[in-house]
Amino acid sequence: MRHVTAIASRELRSLFVSPVAYVVLSLFAVLAGFLFLASVLSFDANLAQAQQFQAFDFLRQLNLNDHLIAPFLQVMWIVFLILVPAVTMSLFASEKANGTEELLLTSPLTIWELVLGKYLAAAGFVTLLVGMLGLFCGIIFLYGEPEPLKTLSGLLGVWLVGLSYAAIGVFTSSLTRNQLVAFFIALPLILMLWLLSVFADLGGATGAVGSESGLSALLRWLSTSDHFQQLIEGLVDTRALAHFAFMIGTFLVLTKASVESVRWR
Amino acid sequence: MIEALGVTKRYGDLVAVNDVSFKAEAGEVVGFLGPNGAGKTTTMRMLTGFLPATDGTAVVDGHDIFDEPLAARRAIGYLPETPPLYPEMDVSGYLKYVARIKDVPRSGRKQAVERALERCGLSHVARRVIGSLSKGYRQRVGLAQAIVHDPPVLILDEPTVGLDPNQILEIRELIRDLAAPREGEPSHTVILSTHILPEVEAICRRVIMIHDGQKVLDDSMENLTRDGGRLEDVFARFTLRETGADAAAPEGGEEAVQ
Repeated sequence: MRHVTAIASRELRSLFVSPVAYVVLSLFAVLAGFLFLASVLSFDANLAQAQQFQAFDFLRQLNLNDHLIAPFLQVMWIVFLILVPAVTMSLFASEKANGTEELLLTSPLTIWELVLGKYLAAAGFVTLLVGMLGLFCGIIFLYGEPEPLKTLSGLLGVWLVGLSYAAIGVFTSSLTRNQLVAFFIALPLILMLWLLSVFADLGGATGAVGSESGLSALLRWLSTSDHFQQLIEGLVDTRALAHFAFMIGTFLVLTKASVESVRWR
Repeated sequence: MIEALGVTKRYGDLVAVNDVSFKAEAGEVVGFLGPNGAGKTTTMRMLTGFLPATDGTAVVDGHDIFDEPLAARRAIGYLPETPPLYPEMDVSGYLKYVARIKDVPRSGRKQAVERALERCGLSHVARRVIGSLSKGYRQRVGLAQAIVHDPPVLILDEPTVGLDPNQILEIRELIRDLAAPREGEPSHTVILSTHILPEVEAICRRVIMIHDGQKVLDDSMENLTRDGGRLEDVFARFTLRETGADAAAPEGGEEAVQ
């Protein structure tokens, strides 16, 4: 464990002396700020419109959680799709490019300590990003009364999505010495895993994969999108939590195998 | 001390290192010689645990590299061909990190870093960012990294390659200094790979020569140069012989080199 924190803290420190962390953080602040503003304005427009047309049913349903926070958090998976791999791409790739891999693999460390240290650093950065989102949500609490638990469930969804992307990013970084290659492998991999449920739906529609079949259920469970959607809607389901634990665990095991493979060659 | 027991590395049909055994005692500086591509780096990588040996093993300070890999790695300081540096870190921060992952206890870490800085002549650049240092200084940081946890065995892969003549002299001086025991400190075993022969003559007391993955010579410097013999001739004799390229090599070693 001492080694894990040593590696994680070095990684975070290096991230913050390089421009990457600042570029990602400012980009994120700008994007999240813009999306937050868009959500607030659209909520405001909805409200005004509903009042103008005296749509009382809609007014009764209109609430800060479903019509402001949820749309705001829902788009974060796309933002994370770009930003998280940008942060993780250097984790292993730069060690290979710098030759520091030789230092790490000849030190009294286990490969698990190495992988977990790197992952912990990435997870810490994701947590920072989600913390920033928490601040935006906090602003709404200053002016209105959204449900705290539902808001937390949404933030939990974003956090878990970020953590699973980080695991995928750590894995792709371990495959290559070129950071850009790591980035561009992570991107389609994440997208594919996200869209698995669409394949399941397509299969159901064409009859190739029965919509009720075991395969389609499995695809749906493996796909991140449905679980994320549930958490955003405030539904914390063990199936969703198991999905994220499975994703993170699987990609960390793959990372370990990939790092170790230097020794098989 | 370190003992290699028949280490072998095969890549498919290609045998990169074939059954190399040797032993180096504490206080010895052993020159590990051979032409480029002879298998020097591969052998060192196996001894340090970076690459697993296909066959054979090594014992470092009493720890087998397969049975007790962590203890064996703790006993080795290793400077790879390219010093493993993080250009964005400052020198003392980097050494602190290395001390941490090499299991130097927290209480002794600051002292260990200071000692390494001092021995490698880095004290005045301790706060500088590694990326801004000259090549000679980077090489010194690489050496400091290898000795920060005060390991009984030092393995240095071409420590002076790419340096200017003054820097080469400095690094050699440093290596000689490291091997010599200081008061209250145990002496180190140093294994040094190179193909610069004057370097070996200057600092090594023993020479192991490796060619085509096989050990072809293991003798003391004294024996090799006793009758006014030159290391160049010995090198040519042993490393040209088995390629079959020049059968006349034993007699005309010098011409063969040219």
